[in-house]
Amino acid sequence: MSSLCLRGGLVIDPANGSAGALRDLAVRNGRIVAPAAGEVFDQEIDAGGCVLMAGGIDMHTHIGGGKVNLARLLMTEDHRDGLDPIALPSNPLELASCGNCAPGTLATGYRYVEMGYTAAFEPAMVPSNARHAHMEMGDVPILDHGAYVMLGNDELFLQLLAEGGPQSRNFAQLRDYTAWTINASKAMGVKVVNPAGISAFKFNQRKLDVNEPHVRWQVTPRQVVHTLARALRELGVPHPLHIHASNLGVAGNIASTLETITALEGLPAHLTHVQFHAYGSDGPKKFSSAAVQLAEAVNANPQISIDVGQIIFGQTVTASGDTMRQHAQSALANPRKWVGADIEGMAGCGVVPFRYREQSYVNALQWAIGLEIFLLVNNPWQVVLTTDHPNGGPFTSYPHLIRLLMDRAFRDEQLAKLHPEVAANCALSSITRELTLAEVAILTRAAPARLLGLPDHGHLGVGAVADIAVYREQSDREAMFRTPEYVFKDGALVARAGRVTATPVGGTHFIEPSYDSTIEKTLRRHWDAHGAIRFDHVAIDRDELCRCANGGRLLPAACFEGVS
Amino acid sequence: MTDKPVAGVAVKKAWTCPFCPLACDHLGVRAVAHGAALVLQGGDCARASRALMSLDGSLAAAAPAIDGVACGLDAAAAAAAACLAASRQPLFGGLGTDVAGARALYRLACTTGAICDAGAGEALMNGLRALQDRGQYTTTLAEVRTRADVVVFVGGLCTDLVPLIGPRLGIGEAQQVQRHVAVIGPEAGDENTLATWAERGSVSVEALPLQGDLFDTVGVLAALVAERAPAQASSPLRHLARRLREAHYAVIVGAPARLPPQGALIVEAVNQIVGSLNRTTRCASLWIGGGNGAATVNQVFAWLSGLPLRSRAGPRGLEHEPHCFDSARLLADGAVDALLWLQSFEAEATPPPNDLPMIVLGHPGLAGCAVRPARSVFIPVSTPGIGSPGHLFRTDGTVLMPLVAVRDDSLPTAAEVLQRIERALQATRSAEAIQ
Repeated sequence: MSSLCLRGGLVIDPANGSAGALRDLAVRNGRIVAPAAGEVFDQEIDAGGCVLMAGGIDMHTHIGGGKVNLARLLMTEDHRDGLDPIALPSNPLELASCGNCAPGTLATGYRYVEMGYTAAFEPAMVPSNARHAHMEMGDVPILDHGAYVMLGNDELFLQLLAEGGPQSRNFAQLRDYTAWTINASKAMGVKVVNPAGISAFKFNQRKLDVNEPHVRWQVTPRQVVHTLARALRELGVPHPLHIHASNLGVAGNIASTLETITALEGLPAHLTHVQFHAYGSDGPKKFSSAAVQLAEAVNANPQISIDVGQIIFGQTVTASGDTMRQHAQSALANPRKWVGADIEGMAGCGVVPFRYREQSYVNALQWAIGLEIFLLVNNPWQVVLTTDHPNGGPFTSYPHLIRLLMDRAFRDEQLAKLHPEVAANCALSSITRELTLAEVAILTRAAPARLLGLPDHGHLGVGAVADIAVYREQSDREAMFRTPEYVFKDGALVARAGRVTATPVGGTHFIEPSYDSTIEKTLRRHWDAHGAIRFDHVAIDRDELCRCANGGRLLPAACFEGVS
Repeated sequence: MTDKPVAGVAVKKAWTCPFCPLACDHLGVRAVAHGAALVLQGGDCARASRALMSLDGSLAAAAPAIDGVACGLDAAAAAAAACLAASRQPLFGGLGTDVAGARALYRLACTTGAICDAGAGEALMNGLRALQDRGQYTTTLAEVRTRADVVVFVGGLCTDLVPLIGPRLGIGEAQQVQRHVAVIGPEAGDENTLATWAERGSVSVEALPLQGDLFDTVGVLAALVAERAPAQASSPLRHLARRLREAHYAVIVGAPARLPPQGALIVEAVNQIVGSLNRTTRCASLWIGGGNGAATVNQVFAWLSGLPLRSRAGPRGLEHEPHCFDSARLLADGAVDALLWLQSFEAEATPPPNDLPMIVLGHPGLAGCAVRPARSVFIPVSTPGIGSPGHLFRTDGTVLMPLVAVRDDSLPTAAEVLQRIERALQATRSAEAIQ
């Protein structure tokens, strides 16, 4: 392994308390080291005039798995240039791969790395689709990756919850089942999507509020959320429950979002794509911004973190596990087509193309709500920058989003282009805050690493993995974050001025919480009676994970001492 | 998970069958010594037994060959690379391989600009084109098994394609108090199968004759479930439409490979029926197909490149042409000048007649089809799920089944051979570049 020294750049490392310091950054054997006086390096780079940050980490991006591949199959329009095919890459290191809102895995890796990102996490891995998800992530070149496994809509979980009653008498079973599922699917965390709602839709329930019983199991989303959050806490899973709350996209859904926070009773959790869950029902169009209420709740609950799911105007495709809500919104599909599925007594998926339009009042307000949330939450460590790729827009729009957050004049200029009633009906035009480089570094790398429990990532302290993005300081923040001068992965140069220079296979982050294996008797009985795969074939072991992940490194993360 | 071998006999209980789109893993297989018979254990399946039989004895003679003359693997790979290097437009057909094979195949397809089309490409496109145009709502085996109260087969029961479809859908199990199974346009033998299903207490069955052809019949049913009742609808179809509307969870099952030409229109009509019913109750479709690696390679190509099969990385860019890149049409038009046929599952899945230079990577039983006047290269490869582990998508497209090896067949995997050809091809090109 080689050594490297980046000389004289502005090192922004908020995880280590540095909002910016001009200094050298040294790397040896893929890790950050403390440079010693007179030390000789294999390579030295003049980073004068550049800003250095840890590699970007996208902790919520739909990059791989069944619904993402359905989105690719559906979005033929995304994979040609009008009547012409997409040109082949000019870079001989790249294999042909295309797509903007539904890119191939190869294009996904190349485009992320060109922007200075070095890790991405798939947030919605269906347990029965875990092998497929790991295969796709293994075919995302260069990036490290991991996934959150979906629970809380599987019939077994809901059945056990029902059997335990309101006192949750069988909580240990549910906790062990959760831990077993994380192990079996080699996940990095757990996500719940529309708690109990995907299952309820299978039984023809079209709406499920937080305290409303599931028509079949008579359990509520409140119980599901609380039980899962408690289980992860007791298991010592670093990333708290990742929650896609009830009533996504529904006017007035701020009530269920706040009710979800209440249901947690102080347990830590991560509320995802909150922009889609921060809607009021005020105003002439019965659709209004509830960003202020949401931000107040986040500010008042330091145990809660969020990612935003900012929308970006233009064509995209929404890919979600939330069949209940995707079916409801399929009438708005543009183009007019959509895909849905009920999956294995565990989950579902819905893929609906969308075109967000500046002149649509609803879309323009959604855009403003996302930005308001970013700017109204006080503590940047509680916020992660996402578009919920591709649901709010493709990840390639991050540099544009960063400029919107850092440059008020630019933001106001964009706001003026929108449906005229939006500026009048939201707080955004009066918000003066502009994020600093250090805050952007928190939102895009330091906070995600901390929220995921990755102590060696997201910072540039001694001992950290040498994933580094070197941006040329520019007043146009979009241009600056679009094309870093250098991107290093594990200390090796992987992109130079927007061009991929090496395509190593990324590693897989996962956790292995411990559990009482007697739960397997219950699970075996369930699979025999209700499954369509032999129970012995459900779990992925480490060897198989390695094959799925294309031979990439396995990166097991530690769990903390569980709290009961 | 090899169970204890006894006196040269290996019994694999947790075996996944790679030979049909259901990828059953409830049966076992018994392997008796190297190269000898493989026998199904724990149940019957005509298709699995036939495929296992086809592996008997052919292993011993399995060796790479150029123009029918046995050679080493390196020489065969070099000959294959030379064949591809000389081609202006190769076609990769068959595509009977697993995820690892598909990953390697994509790389080679990019290097050569090959058009890729599965052996059952037309059937695959029936489903894919309907999805691309209008979308779909589908379900999976466990959902059907546990919740479907009405199951309607369109165009026959397809038990020749998937012999165990009944039990895999839970027909006859006690999970539903009452389950109704209907088949629209039954094929020979279907009524007997229905009769055996009806013997199981909670199942009622019916066979509905076509009203006109299958297009007409499905169209009438679509109108009926949307409550746009056409005057000419037959009474059984009216009853079925009512039953579908009243069902809690109806599932419509079809096999694209069994549909007539332009079958995408029938798939789309079924998808419309599902969409109509989902406005008031719950319904989904289940498509049976994608076996012999077709669905697996299609998924892998789609995730790597963004484009499904019938695509190429050609001079104009990444092209997907579901009509033009039909291998039968390309061969008939003389639009391709070399064929790489990959088929590691079935000896019966032979390449289409052609007089092009041909590379066959496949089942040892395919050796004979590579003996011909034109240049031919044959490289036997391991069958995933028999001689090597692997992964194959099940028919419902959401479960990627793990395949385990039953015995050591001493053959390279398709992925290994494709990588070897790729390296040889790159070496040839580098040498040419230097000259």
